[in-house]
This record gives sequence, C-alpha cells and structure tokens, in this order.
Amino acid sequence: MECVVQGIIETQNSDLVSIGVDDYRGISYIGVLGSKSTISYLGFLCLGALLHVEYGAQGENFEKHVEALEVLLQGLSGVPKERLRVHELCVKSGPNLGKNLRTLVSWTVRHVGAPMKGTGAEQIAVLVRPMVESKVSNNVLRFFYALGYKLDHEVLKVGFAFHFQRVAKITVTVTSLNKIPKLHAIDEAVPVTPGLQLVEVTAPTAADNYVEVVAAISSFCEHLAPLLHLSKPGVATGLVPTAAAAADSLMSNGSGKAM
Amino acid sequence: MPVKWILHWQPNPGTTVSTQTLTEVCQCVESIHGSKDGRWKATLTYYKPMLRDPSVPTEFPRDFLGIALQEQPGKYYFIIRSHRIILEAESSIQIIMEKLQSYKSRVSLNYEGFQYQLGDFQLRIGKAAPAHSESLRGILMEVEYLPISSLEKSKRILEDFVDILQETITKKTLPGHFIPIEPNFGEYGLADRYTSQHTAIQYAAAMAHLIASGRN
Repeated sequence: MECVVQGIIETQNSDLVSIGVDDYRGISYIGVLGSKSTISYLGFLCLGALLHVEYGAQGENFEKHVEALEVLLQGLSGVPKERLRVHELCVKSGPNLGKNLRTLVSWTVRHVGAPMKGTGAEQIAVLVRPMVESKVSNNVLRFFYALGYKLDHEVLKVGFAFHFQRVAKITVTVTSLNKIPKLHAIDEAVPVTPGLQLVEVTAPTAADNYVEVVAAISSFCEHLAPLLHLSKPGVATGLVPTAAAAADSLMSNGSGKAM
Repeated sequence: MPVKWILHWQPNPGTTVSTQTLTEVCQCVESIHGSKDGRWKATLTYYKPMLRDPSVPTEFPRDFLGIALQEQPGKYYFIIRSHRIILEAESSIQIIMEKLQSYKSRVSLNYEGFQYQLGDFQLRIGKAAPAHSESLRGILMEVEYLPISSLEKSKRILEDFVDILQETITKKTLPGHFIPIEPNFGEYGLADRYTSQHTAIQYAAAMAHLIASGRN
C-alpha cells in the first residue's frame, strides 16, 4: 500500500489556495491522468459537495463553449472571474510507511476523504466527501520529503473560477490539466487532454446540513443547463444538444451583466 | 512579535529538580516585583513512524516533534531537528497527520505554569511534566521583552535582565541556575525578526536538553 500526498506549490492568485475546490478536482482529475484511482479515507470533519463535467467539444466550438460558459457565469455572479494557475505536486510515502491514503498539500494541506456511501448517498445528485485542510508554511514539500515521502508526479492546472453565495459558498471552476515533462518546469507544461475542460461545482458543508447544500448546488446547476449537464464524477453526461445554440445566444448578447 | 528567550533550569551536580525549587523561583520573581497575571501552557509531542513491517529497516527522522503554543492557539508547529526544518501549520494539521497514519504520537510533555508582568518584560515560569501526570521533569522560564522584535537589538537588554534574575536566584541559594537556550535560528532559515517559529525551536531545544539530562 502507499500513501499519496498532492500539493499546490505555486499559484498566481493567493486566494486560490484557500478555497475548498482544488481537493475535489485533485481527486477527479486523477482518472484523467490514469495513475491512481480508488483510495480509502477515514473520518469526517467537514463535508463538501461536488458536481462536475468534463466539458469537451471540437475546435472553434470548444473555444466558443468555454467563452459562453464564462459569460453565463459572470452574468450569474456579477463579478469578474478569478484566474487559476496552480502547480500541484503529488508525493507518496516510502515503501514501508503509513497506509493507503491520498491528501492534497499546498500552502494548504488538504485531506480528502472517501465519498459518502449508502442508499442515501446514491439518491442525492452530488458527491459528498469529507475534507480537512490546514494552511502551512512554504517549506511543506521539504518537510514531507524529510518524513520519507517521495515526489510521485506534478501537474499544472489552468483555468478560471467564479464564486456564488447560494445557501453555501458555491465555487465553479473551469480548468484544463497540464502535465509537466521535466521536474518543476511549469513553463513547459502541455495539456493532458487538449480540447477538454473540467467544469466543477463545489460547496463546503457540514455533516448536519449537507442536504440543504446539495439542493442549493442542484438548483444552481439548472442555470447552466442550456450549456452543460453536470453529474457526479465518474458519470458521463455527454454534450447538451442545445449547447451550440445557447453558446451562440450568449455570445451574441455578449453581456456579463448580472442576471 | 516581541523577542523571547527561553531558559531551562540546570540543577547543581548531585541535586534533582523539585516542585520546591519551582516555588522558590516564582518567589524570586515576585521579590523583584513581578506581578502574577495568568497561567500559560505549551505542549510538545514526539512522533514515531507507523511502520507496516517493523522488521524492515527504514530510515525516518527520530526527532520529529509537534508543538502547540499558547501564544498561537490556532497554529501547530512541526520540527525535525536533524533536518533543521520547522513547519508552521494551522492546528487542523494534527487531524491530517492522524488520517495519514504515517506517524503517530509517541509521548507528550506539557510545559505549564504562571505568567508574570515586570515592566516591559513578561516572564513565564513553569514545569515540564508528561501529559496526564503531575510528575515534574524540569523547569523552564520564558523571558519576553515586549518593545523589541529584533533578536540582535534586544540581546544586550535581555542579557542584563537575565543577569539580574540569576543574581536574585543565587542570593536565595537555590540548587541550580537557568541556562539560556540559544539555537541557531539561521539554520532553520529564520531571520532576526522574532516569530512564533523561533519560540517553537527554543521549546524543541529545551525538550532535547531535558531528554539528554534525563539520560545522564
């Protein structure tokens, strides 16, 4: 068994590392990378709810859809997007240490638990999973190396985010994942899946009010329905038939006005 | 933040540290008009690795220490002295470490006692005792000089103040004296401007001294 720690060590936006969204993306993009898949976690401290979609289209359509989504989100939020550029490092424990867990480390260390299971969890529209985080000093990577962890892989995530206060603080991120061919050479990063953007909707919640937050996320996602359908991670959604027309309409309005 | 020196009690050869000594040190501070204004506490925890197969030789730091300081209630400090690493984290890092199940707490020690105000100085005097035990293992004193945050600039005044304290203790013929802990903060990448990371490093050094003196 192995212990995996992931980390954000660089960001152009210092606010980014304090939001509870990267951990979820950290988990979901692992599938895209094809490295690790399932992990077991322990304990519940705080819960988060997540919906996502891998938003893919071809060529001009792809660019247009992403721009249209940005216009739509900006209209909903009324404030400009927050740019994301996150360098993440994944380290894992030595061969004889610890157990099989995966954690996000950055200026913030994050531990992301297993999704809630059972009939109740299956019936709700989003994935709910425990999360613990701790902001740390910037020598955290050296610290984990000293404890016996090794660098496993690193990635660069680029995109944008919007925040909404609807019952809970809902965050929508639209990102592409880039692999880094040489150690820490983020300038040479290349997309893992060209033409594919990950759209994620997340919100923090507590164990006793996640039902309300799940409802808030589901309700919020209806605003995005003309462009994309969101589903639990791992469930394919496919493209929305009305997406092209909706994108055309949004772009011709060209607004960004609060809706 | 204000500069702080931490001093540990060195008993005279052939004597042991006792609660009586601690009481008398407190009386010394009160005799130079130190006014008691509260209690204080710091907790130090040694961590050990959770090896899946203890028979397989594995390299890991044997001096991995976690520190909770009263001056920073929301923070937690990890120190690996052999690597000269100090990590400052929010206290939730302890929950994450538990979940990682790579290292677990081996032994915890509390430093706790009384706080005194003496003009621009703040003193904290207390005992070191294992968690869940009252048995005294050592005595520690923090001397904080409130107006200055530069280690270099405050050095002289702290030296003078500590000399006065030592004289008072000598006059009382207590069976020992205080020794300043003077770690090399630069080795940890810390600057002259004092922070709680400096405090944590001094506590880690005090703990190392306590363990070393226990062995002798």
